[in-house]
Amino acid sequence: MSDPQTPNNQIPEENAGMAARGSNKITFLPPDAPLLRVDNVSTTFHTPRGDVRAVSNISFEVRSNEVVGIVGESGSGKTVLSRTLMGLQPRHGVTVDGSITFAKRYVAERGDAIDGQVPENPLVGFEVARAKESDLRTVWGVEVAMVFQDPMTSLNPVQRVGNQISEGLRVRQGMSKADAKKRAIELLTQVGIPSPEERYRAYPNQLSGGMRQRVMIAIALACNPRLLLADEPTTGLDVTIQAQILNLLEDLQRRYHMSVLLVTHDLGVVATRTDRIVVMYGGRVVECGNTRDVFYGHRMPYTEALLKSTPKISNSSHSRLQTIPGRPPDILNLPPGCSFAPRCSYATEKCHQERPELEATENEGHFFACWNPLPARKTPPATRSDASEIGVDSVRD
Amino acid sequence: MSETNSDKKVLLEVRDLRVEFRKGKRVVSAVAGLDFDIYEGETLGLVGESGCGKSTTGRALMLIEQPTAGTVKLGDVEITKLKGRALRAARRQMQMIFQDPISSLNPRRRVKDIVAEPIDCWRAAKGEEREKIIFDLLTKVGIDPRVYGNRYARQFSGGQCQRISIARSLAMKPQMLICDEMVSALDVSIQAQILNLLEDLKEEYGLTLLFIAHDLAVVKNVSDRVAVMYLGKFCEIGPSDVMYAEPAHPYTKFLLSAALEADPDSPRHDQVLEGEPPSPLDPPSGCRFRTRCPNATELCASTVPEMQTLSDGHQVACHFPLVPVRRSAAPAGADA
Repeated sequence: MSDPQTPNNQIPEENAGMAARGSNKITFLPPDAPLLRVDNVSTTFHTPRGDVRAVSNISFEVRSNEVVGIVGESGSGKTVLSRTLMGLQPRHGVTVDGSITFAKRYVAERGDAIDGQVPENPLVGFEVARAKESDLRTVWGVEVAMVFQDPMTSLNPVQRVGNQISEGLRVRQGMSKADAKKRAIELLTQVGIPSPEERYRAYPNQLSGGMRQRVMIAIALACNPRLLLADEPTTGLDVTIQAQILNLLEDLQRRYHMSVLLVTHDLGVVATRTDRIVVMYGGRVVECGNTRDVFYGHRMPYTEALLKSTPKISNSSHSRLQTIPGRPPDILNLPPGCSFAPRCSYATEKCHQERPELEATENEGHFFACWNPLPARKTPPATRSDASEIGVDSVRD
Repeated sequence: MSETNSDKKVLLEVRDLRVEFRKGKRVVSAVAGLDFDIYEGETLGLVGESGCGKSTTGRALMLIEQPTAGTVKLGDVEITKLKGRALRAARRQMQMIFQDPISSLNPRRRVKDIVAEPIDCWRAAKGEEREKIIFDLLTKVGIDPRVYGNRYARQFSGGQCQRISIARSLAMKPQMLICDEMVSALDVSIQAQILNLLEDLKEEYGLTLLFIAHDLAVVKNVSDRVAVMYLGKFCEIGPSDVMYAEPAHPYTKFLLSAALEADPDSPRHDQVLEGEPPSPLDPPSGCRFRTRCPNATELCASTVPEMQTLSDGHQVACHFPLVPVRRSAAPAGADA
């Protein structure tokens, strides 16, 4: 939709991924093939106050070329989940249950082909949950990369940004220093940083917040990952810069055929930029489905409450917002039933006692966890110009 | 600027407010000449990107930051002339609520003592009366004083801390509240609670608000009028419904199109404001927005645009406003 004119446009759209990945022999997964499968994942922290299950029984899939949003308030477990998916949880004090499989791409040079063939089921790939760190290192940056929330604290303040970008290229792809520099400058250009040669030598503190986030994205993209995990990539940035960064991510996602997992608390960020949404509450998935189904046909009262409590520009001034009473659950002390029950206006005795499991709706891939769901509604068709149809209807009336 | 709305009483009158920070020989003019009025009982929203001077404006109104020039008049009192005890007394009428609710409360003090602080400072009430005021205030902001009154500030979540901040700011019954990004650190569900609470209390106490925020949707929801700020100057000021529907300044239009609505069918604006705000150390000549403005001409580089009135209370500082200027509204009819 948007097309920020990135100077580096020589790569034809279809072959972009191939060309950009240089000389490596790569077999692409078929479109829509699952890239990441998260199966019943729970992350438990062992603390002096007892075990804390920050993320419980999460299952979902990210297919290739897909943008999936994970939405939740603070404390809902979205950041713990994204760090778990990356295999960034510490060895000690944390237990990760379940399985996170990542379809590995076949790179002949790295010698991990099975008899020179791509495995038939691409998900016979990589198990993140139980991987050794040395194995994770072969995946980080190359297969899956992460953009963290705070670009100031995630960049190294005493290293020039150029170095931080080319480091991955030299270590992972064995580039020479000169080649890595050339590629790094190319990347800086692609993420829309003006005068990239100069910026290559800049330290993070010499850049603005938006520029730092662009550098973070350049680092993440350096080795052409197939999955980009962006954890609150625009939180703390101004609206105009946020729009720039989101457009950039979208443009790069299309150009490199990446999948993106966009973790955010802001429903506005995911509304027009994702294919599917996962709504989290109290460390669990409470609803997931196609973006439009979740926005227009949500069944879970929490999703509704979240949507209604978000202020809208189209509201008139002094319009009253619908609020959710109470506050997000204490993850140390979750209620036995539905975590949202104490704040839910539809809650019954059953909700407080028994935990609802995810239940399918008639919409494909749309699930919700609720004992007293909202009535099913038909999701309006995905067009932004329904004007003519509405016109016909009103004429009939 | 107050030729319209003559029926409303001006509570806060700001004229040519300037705040400059010096670093060696270099001068940053964070606030570069603001003129505005806030009418009694209204909410004026102040939006802009980070670094545009909106917080400095709020602080300068309270004289937390000493203005370099200009006057601030609250009712009949010219605050900018006051010093010492008189200034402190005047500040009772204006209170501020800050962005980070947790760091704006002392973690080691009990909630009821935090709320009582202004009362004790001014020896406004003692004994049972004091207790009653605190009890009422905490009840009003939704913190049960019997359960939570004796707890420490550190034991509360962000939303609750913001409620306590509100109670504290209301303790001396001020006429005006300056809310500096008071909900931006809160979750959506908590943000809605605090905004509704603020509206209720505004009604009850007859408060006038200056609501500083970067989130355009939040500002729209609470404000009667909105002022848009860029690099220390106002671009546009006007009734929020009018301005959001028909932005007259290109910057306002860009801000609105960059705001994200939680609706998959909301129109996607492909036109995004390029670049970043220039450094306030070296602001562009003429119109400060001209370096990022698609409509900029030589006139914009040479002449600072004056505020001109478009319609009732809707003013814009732009040589080429997106909404036609209503000639009849201009006081002097010298139209050559």
